[in-house]
Amino acid sequence: MTLAHARSTSPAPGSGVAAPSHRHGGGLAAGLVVLVGVLAVVAFVSVTLGTRDVGLATIWKAFTDFDPDNTSETVIRELRVPRTLVGLVAGMSLGLAGAILQGVTRNPLADPGIMGINTGASAFIVVSIMVLGVQGLGTYIWFGFLGAAVAIFVVYGVASFGREGATPVKLALAGAAVTAGFYSVTTGVVMTNVDALNELRFWQVGSIAGRYWPVFTQTAPFMAVGVAVALFSGRALNGLSLGDDMAVALGQRIRLTRSIMFVSVAVLAGAATAACGPIVFIGLVVPHVARALCGPDYRWVMVYTALLSPIILLSADIIGRVSAGDGELQVGVVLGVLGAPAFIALVRRRDLAEL
Amino acid sequence: MATPTLVQDTDVEHAVGTIQRGRVVRKGRVLGVTTALALLAFALFVATMMVGSFPVTPWEVIASTFRLGSDPSVDFVVRDLRLPVATTALAVGLAMGVSGLVFQKLLANPLASPDFVGISSGAGLAAVGSIILLNVSAMFVSVAALGGALVAALLIYLLAWRDGITGYRFILIGIGVSELMVALTGYLIARADIFEAREAMTWLVGSVGNAGPTQLRILLVALAVLLPLTLVLNRHLDVLELGDDAAKALGANVERMRLVLLAVAVVLVALATAAAGPLPFVALIAGPIAVRLIGANGSGLVAAAFVGALIVLVADLVAQHVVPVELPTGVVTGAIGAPYLIWLLATVNREGRGG
Amino acid sequence: MTHELRAEDLSLGYGPQDVVSHLDVEIPDGKITVIVGANACGKSTLLRGLARLLAPRTGSVILDGKRVQDLRSVEVARVLGLLPQTPVAPDGITVADLVGRGRYPHQSWFRRWSAEDDAAVAAAMESTGTAELADRPLSALSGGQRQRVWVAMALAQDTDLVLLDEPTTYLDINHQVELLDLLTDLNRRHAKTIVLVLHDLNLACRYADHIIAMKAGAIIREGAPIDVIDAAVVTEVFGLPCEVLPDPVSRTPMIVPRGRHHVPVPESV
Repeated sequence: MTLAHARSTSPAPGSGVAAPSHRHGGGLAAGLVVLVGVLAVVAFVSVTLGTRDVGLATIWKAFTDFDPDNTSETVIRELRVPRTLVGLVAGMSLGLAGAILQGVTRNPLADPGIMGINTGASAFIVVSIMVLGVQGLGTYIWFGFLGAAVAIFVVYGVASFGREGATPVKLALAGAAVTAGFYSVTTGVVMTNVDALNELRFWQVGSIAGRYWPVFTQTAPFMAVGVAVALFSGRALNGLSLGDDMAVALGQRIRLTRSIMFVSVAVLAGAATAACGPIVFIGLVVPHVARALCGPDYRWVMVYTALLSPIILLSADIIGRVSAGDGELQVGVVLGVLGAPAFIALVRRRDLAEL
Repeated sequence: MATPTLVQDTDVEHAVGTIQRGRVVRKGRVLGVTTALALLAFALFVATMMVGSFPVTPWEVIASTFRLGSDPSVDFVVRDLRLPVATTALAVGLAMGVSGLVFQKLLANPLASPDFVGISSGAGLAAVGSIILLNVSAMFVSVAALGGALVAALLIYLLAWRDGITGYRFILIGIGVSELMVALTGYLIARADIFEAREAMTWLVGSVGNAGPTQLRILLVALAVLLPLTLVLNRHLDVLELGDDAAKALGANVERMRLVLLAVAVVLVALATAAAGPLPFVALIAGPIAVRLIGANGSGLVAAAFVGALIVLVADLVAQHVVPVELPTGVVTGAIGAPYLIWLLATVNREGRGG
Repeated sequence: MTHELRAEDLSLGYGPQDVVSHLDVEIPDGKITVIVGANACGKSTLLRGLARLLAPRTGSVILDGKRVQDLRSVEVARVLGLLPQTPVAPDGITVADLVGRGRYPHQSWFRRWSAEDDAAVAAAMESTGTAELADRPLSALSGGQRQRVWVAMALAQDTDLVLLDEPTTYLDINHQVELLDLLTDLNRRHAKTIVLVLHDLNLACRYADHIIAMKAGAIIREGAPIDVIDAAVVTEVFGLPCEVLPDPVSRTPMIVPRGRHHVPVPESV
């Protein structure tokens, strides 16, 4: 039984052409080249731009012939590069995790947020702050990771009970229920512990500011594995998106496929959320954008999502850095304020391909 | 369909009998479940007024509530202190429960409760904005929340309109609007001083103790009008569930009925939120629980209302008396419904509505 | 009771282009009309237009002398019913409940469920052979059973005009024939006017009193199958070279396609 009977109500011939699924592979491949180029430019700008602008030469020197006394070189090497790398990998991870979840649950609302991942991470972080007195990003990042993993395995475990396993409806509802439970833990702690509230309110907006090398080196290996699995899962998701029966008919082992998908989501979203907080926007919205650009074929959706997500995340981070005078706006805020209206415009302009 | 040409009147009479018997059985089940939920809700309504530093017996509570006797000290504790809170819990729960299920049915998506499609986040942004930026009284915060919810709903509806509304587009636009509101809310909280942040977080969590007498009175009047109206409109909701084409073919005025039903649900949830804050997950979880208790026997709107009331009443009891420190109700609402929904998901078999 | 259903200068569409443009058609009263044509030729669109699910871009649909757009939707629904191609079944609904929803246009604020509704639902379920499934959830049924339940819902609406968009999809050949026999019964015994979109040309020719062959949003030919369907028409409408023989059972036209294979080399006689 599909969950997405939120399907368009005019499925008549002629209306289905809105999604450019018929766009041929050549055009899609050219689009990829463009996106890679854009990503390279955005990453470069992210490294050079800021309260202290630097040139290409300084960047080169910071890595080939580092002078610890040169502030510009230090900023590049110790701040901007790791921050950009975290944004790059985390953006990719969040976007792919969202695309996988939407595919597996066949629900446009299913993102790492509703699967309990963000609230799981938040809950573990605030509890670690309250009970263990943990302070500082570098330490509680692991609790965030653990919380995210626990949440998603509980969701999948609950939904897998019963005869036909983890159906989309059960997954969505189990995710909502687990989210609700962890939310209670988090708010319970926050309401009684001012330290935890203070940490949480900055963490939960979502940001890649102040992410130094350790954040990157600790989380990137996990995300790299997850990204690799995700990029090869397009075919499996195409099968699942036809419905469980059809997927079985096509020879898929859907329980196994779903399990693999969930492990990779746990790794991707867990590590990314731990690294930069719950940036819900990327996982929720970018797969829809990708689908609008390349049609419903998940093999393309995954690749487009993988490139679009870091482009959007890093661009928002750059805008946040240069827009707010002396301080800076967190990337989560920029994404909400600029990204949401852009997304709404996109939804209005096209009939988005449905799941 | 063995020999359709030979359909006899006796066969039809027999079928009429089968259908009528089936309907009686189904109605009986619905009535039974709903009555049980109503009695349970009433029992809890009384129970929440019994406990506290001045314990009162159930008979004293009932006598005082319905003005059957008078004992000044009991009257003071029950009518002046506890009745407003208990009534708020009951009313808010009823409103959120029924509103959530109407949303889920209209948008054909079990996650599409007002919490997730942007209505509650509109209320949240307006309330948090008025707390942090304007420093206003609780009454004004309520008004702001009401306005925020209504504006968000209107915005989503207008933006989703394109030769009519489809559930899918409504959900996507709702995601966008919600993201915008949540980002702005997070930004406000992160830049506020810690005391205002705490106050804002407290409102966002929601508590039935927040409601002033005016908010409560308005909510009660709205419930008295809108709950019966929802039941009258249920007939239309039933055909809208079949998809727009089938509903139109059956003669339903699809756009008008959808607008009316959405408006009723939005007003209910907006008034409830204005009175007690968002109380997360009540609207989301009440519907699926009710639907699983009733099975394939009926639409479950009344049952959802009572499940909503039960969740809030239990949450109120737990938040005030069970946990060591007194907490806002909303901290517990998620934890009350969630385990039960999880248990239902794991146990209800497929033949019913396991999903 | 006789009814008039026709379209004048009717244009319909979804995107920038018309799917059906400036079309005139009249549905013969009391007959079975079948619309045939290749995929995406506008058959379903025409059916949706006739059933006022799609607002006309030009022209109008006339029901009993009045423009359908000017009538109240519920009034139309008491005369004209449509089973859409992809209706949505609410989660976990039972068969009887679903069929009962076909009674919507006969109810109102004041008039709730009545014995007449029970009778209509029972008759619809009995005639589609779904009565014994009454209390089962739709999700537990096979594809063919489900399709019959949907047809039962359309019949429960109890309209003189019944439009069905590819009702034989998901049915095996036996159930296809049974369903078409049933529709013929309804047509003959209760004088219902039936309009169908069908893919199987042979069944279309056999069961249709009146056949409408469409291509690219226009009507190529219409009339009694025996007068209208020949090899040239089929080739034009479907782009399929074929032979047309008389059906050995009904004497109606029977289409035998010429594919690229299995065509024996002509032997010299």
